[in-house]
Amino acid sequence: MRSRRLAIGAGKMLAVAAIVVWSLFPIGFIVLSSFKPGREIFAVPPELFFEPTLEHYASLWQRWPAFFDGLVNSLIITTGATALAVMASMLAGFAYSRYRGVRFLEGSVMFLIGSRLIPPIVVTLPLFPVVNRLGLNDTHLVLILLYATFFVSLGTLLMRTFIDQVPRELDEAAVLDGARPLTILVKIILPLVAPGMLAVAVFVVVFAWNEFLFAYIFTANHAKTAPLVLSEMISSIDGVDWGVLFAASTVQLLPVLVFVVLMNRFLVAGLTAGATKG
Amino acid sequence: MAFGSEASVGHRGEGTAEAAGETKRRRFAFSPAYLYATPVHLLVLGIIVLPAIFVLWLSFEASSFGQSATFVGFDNYIRVLTDPYFWCSVWNTVLVVAVAVHIELLLGLGLALLFASGLPLQRVMLVVVLAPYAISEVTAVAMWRFLFDPDVGPITLMLRYTGLPTLDWTFIPSHGLVLVGLLTIWLHLPFTFIILYAARLAVPKELYEAGRTDGANAFQLFRNITLPLLAPAMLIALLFRYIFAFRLFSEVWLLTQGGPARTTEVVSVYLYQEGFRYNSFGTAAATAWMMVVISLLLATGYVWRLRKESLANAF
Repeated sequence: MRSRRLAIGAGKMLAVAAIVVWSLFPIGFIVLSSFKPGREIFAVPPELFFEPTLEHYASLWQRWPAFFDGLVNSLIITTGATALAVMASMLAGFAYSRYRGVRFLEGSVMFLIGSRLIPPIVVTLPLFPVVNRLGLNDTHLVLILLYATFFVSLGTLLMRTFIDQVPRELDEAAVLDGARPLTILVKIILPLVAPGMLAVAVFVVVFAWNEFLFAYIFTANHAKTAPLVLSEMISSIDGVDWGVLFAASTVQLLPVLVFVVLMNRFLVAGLTAGATKG
Repeated sequence: MAFGSEASVGHRGEGTAEAAGETKRRRFAFSPAYLYATPVHLLVLGIIVLPAIFVLWLSFEASSFGQSATFVGFDNYIRVLTDPYFWCSVWNTVLVVAVAVHIELLLGLGLALLFASGLPLQRVMLVVVLAPYAISEVTAVAMWRFLFDPDVGPITLMLRYTGLPTLDWTFIPSHGLVLVGLLTIWLHLPFTFIILYAARLAVPKELYEAGRTDGANAFQLFRNITLPLLAPAMLIALLFRYIFAFRLFSEVWLLTQGGPARTTEVVSVYLYQEGFRYNSFGTAAATAWMMVVISLLLATGYVWRLRKESLANAF
């Protein structure tokens, strides 16, 4: 019996090690390598102990000013898209949770779910000429709208689930006190569904910060995002400068990785509710 | 109901409107709910639904830049369906999606059961498994490209050193697709895992206790309790992943650009090439609509299930 338990324990330690290697090795490898001097990046087996240097970050700063513009653009776009998606989802979630039996409203849930099924690349075809004609090409606005839109349906359903959990007695008490619906939403419901808003925010932040396809199609210079600049580094004609690419990747991934780690509870809540509720 | 009077105006005929003596049916009353739902619906209509419908129209027209559209019936569909590159991209997509998503499901299930049986540092390990969710496809491509670089990649060199076959993804198409599949699994395992783990945690402990007192062994418990109770969650995870993996674009585009010689294209990449490289909007639109229809077909089972469930919740 004891040997059996030992074997299970050993097996679990092995599994833990395998999970850590699988999940973290590629990330850790990039981050560590970005601090390795010159050719040591290519040492096999990779060296764990080395004298850290910022040389790759220095040359990133000198040779790729576009990357830092890209970070600023990514920050603007992510903030805008998140704010828009969370607010719009909150309002719609409120409508779906608190107003029952309103004509068209119920059927429109299926419409929202259905809209999630349309692959993003499909809408780029007609939007591209329209965006050009409106002069919105290469602006922050177009990406903010696109990123927010592809998450408002999930966001709405999540917010509905979270608002459903707020007891209606609270609303009713406020109605008796003469509060208007919007006041109830902001003053009473909003503080109670903050976790739901965070869950929606995590989705949008991760998506907007990392997205490639829309940025690739709809931006050129002015609103170019960090992932787009990274992709240019990857496919640069005169060979990839791996040190600089690793430095840039590290700068791009660390903030959102830290964010996801801090917000992991809300991410889990959002993923589970999102999949089961629509 | 919180806002009784407002909420029911449009529907059951109680409240102010009926008091005014109107007939019950065919009456449209304004509800503030419409206002609250408007921003979301404007965005979804304007940016997803109307453009998608426009694509349907586009798919029956021949058009390109600076050329007015002319109706061509099903020509675009015929051209796409007779294009060997299209079928190559379909085959690649099906292959990558089928292999990667099912491996993901197995790994996710294994992880979920492992976590449910208790792990040291469970909370930390959960975050570790989630970590790749935060990583951009672009950064992930940078990582895996380097790890498997034919000249300097540490994994390639180690494989070569140990005499194992290496992944020659730069010139052998199937190897490129293997790398794409690996990347896909790495990026999306967190999603599959969380869905299955949540479902596993929802299985009542008493069932296992009862099973054990009846003398069931670990395999029987798995076969008769875990598997049937996790089946709905597995189905949902599978469908979600089919639908989303079907859109696969960035990984392939950044890794191989669909090359060499268009052999590793997936459907999204084929669409992109038609639309944005060859400016053939008609065939791109036809491809796009086939993608929409397949996505909808994949989802009908899921939506139907959801509908049944939401009707059960009186909504």
